[in-house]
Amino acid sequence: MKEEAVQFGEAGSLVGIVSVPPVTVDKPAVILLNPGIVHRAGPGRIYVKIARALAVRGFTVLRFDFSGIGDSLVRLDNRRFEESSVDETRAAMSFLCATRGCGRFMLMGGCSGAAVSLKTAAVDRRAIGVIAINFPARADEEESGSHRNDSHYYWTFALRSLKSWRKLLTGQADYRRIGRALTQSVKRKLVDRNQASVLDQQFRAKLWELAARHVHLTFICSKGDVLLEDLRHAGGKDFKQLCAQGKAACEIISGSDHTFSSLSDQERLVEAVLRRADAAALVPKLQVQIPGLAPSPAGALSSNDRKRFVTG
Amino acid sequence: MKPPMPAAPFYFGSQGRELFGCFHEPSQKDGMRRFAILICQPVGHEYINSHRALRQLAVRLAEAGFSVLRFDYSGCGDSYGEAEQSSLHQWMEDISTAVVQLRALTGIFQVCAIGLRLGGTLAALTGCQCKDFDSLVLWEPVVSGRDYLQELYSLQEEMLRFRPKPKLPKKSPACTEILGFPFSRLLHAQLEELDLAMIADKPAARVLILRNTPAIDETEGDLKDHLIQTQARVEHRTMRAPQIWLPTPDGSLLVPAQVLQSVVSWVCGLS
Repeated sequence: MKEEAVQFGEAGSLVGIVSVPPVTVDKPAVILLNPGIVHRAGPGRIYVKIARALAVRGFTVLRFDFSGIGDSLVRLDNRRFEESSVDETRAAMSFLCATRGCGRFMLMGGCSGAAVSLKTAAVDRRAIGVIAINFPARADEEESGSHRNDSHYYWTFALRSLKSWRKLLTGQADYRRIGRALTQSVKRKLVDRNQASVLDQQFRAKLWELAARHVHLTFICSKGDVLLEDLRHAGGKDFKQLCAQGKAACEIISGSDHTFSSLSDQERLVEAVLRRADAAALVPKLQVQIPGLAPSPAGALSSNDRKRFVTG
Repeated sequence: MKPPMPAAPFYFGSQGRELFGCFHEPSQKDGMRRFAILICQPVGHEYINSHRALRQLAVRLAEAGFSVLRFDYSGCGDSYGEAEQSSLHQWMEDISTAVVQLRALTGIFQVCAIGLRLGGTLAALTGCQCKDFDSLVLWEPVVSGRDYLQELYSLQEEMLRFRPKPKLPKKSPACTEILGFPFSRLLHAQLEELDLAMIADKPAARVLILRNTPAIDETEGDLKDHLIQTQARVEHRTMRAPQIWLPTPDGSLLVPAQVLQSVVSWVCGLS
């Protein structure tokens, strides 16, 4: 496995690393997209681990920084990140196409990188797969975001922590914050559970659209992350249905957090990514390139894959 | 507005053990500076958290007319190798390799090293051994390795309050895990022994110690006094600024403009 530093995009403003497989095989190339504003090494250097493990399996992998992140230059055109990130991901595909002859791509990323992966796949048919790690299905709900995080923390961790109980009973806790978080939580449980917002409906429509194009959809989620609940709510019955039909898959990594901040989390994430990437690589090339020709869902996803979502 | 020059990313060093570097060419080429600058980054989670700020520092120094090389140590960032195999000696060797590369790229022999946290400590140790540096900036250096490990363990304990209990790794632990990064037994032992206030020779002719916190404890005083005893010209500056190497509650990465400006002005004053 060899790695090369590359520059591409306008005036070479985007910086990335290509992990080159030791032997050339006909597998889709993988592009890793920044998780938030963390540079291309990823939190805990997890992107480096993923890229190298994939390259050893024969995948060409590019992990690069969006403009203004890591080593890439800031854009001067004032375009919104939602637009520029999609353009830059497409530029990355074109770069690999021109320099390595890659024609099929799997887009992968954590958090906002997952969102960009899905958005780009929706507009570029060269994307044959998406691996969305801790996908922020309801990231646009800024207003309730902090309460949701607080609520997740109180229910999941503070409730079982002696230190937190001590703070609560000795008047050191932020009672107002706790109150707001709990109210929000109850409201969500009672009122919001089955109500799909416009954004949720758009998300579901996008999933169906990608599935119809036979894009291999995988969602990898940390069990301890608040975003898992969001994904379940945002995806609703449609997501379950897609998983049951083998058109999407959801892997849940138990005992892990949003950034996979322990070595064990990272090890299991890499295993899951390899499993999903191998499954996506099995999709026959002709079937993904000719619109309207349906590949067998069973060819793309095993029955175990389907079970994973149900049991998760 | 003239677009800035992109930094040139590249690999250097011996085959199979290549280090990743980013070279920032000076914006103004006339009136060449008499030394080039090497930025020595911290390691582990501190490397991830401070990457943005150190890149900004490199950009500002390049704008001030310096050639700047940032690089990743073996087993860190984009460089080759596994973190499990890291050691202080390997990282010091990497600094020497980067110095050779910087001289080859610029044709300038004199080098100023700027190191943050353990990066500063490693630069100081390398400077003592190899006499590679004309000047040195120690930005919140790790003075006692034992204290550093203690800080990391405390931070880890705090972090574990906010996440599910991690599962034990499948492989037998040949290394200690701290904040999601493996520390080999060798590295751990070397850090326990590390004491920057015990170095025998001067790490550079001129040294700037930069602290983010106003309070100067005994260890810091010791470091300054000790470096003065080694015949180095030492300046100590204290600035109120965020500890950019620590994780923030909202995951943002901080760039302390005032500190960066202070470093740039000190370095410009030397050249």
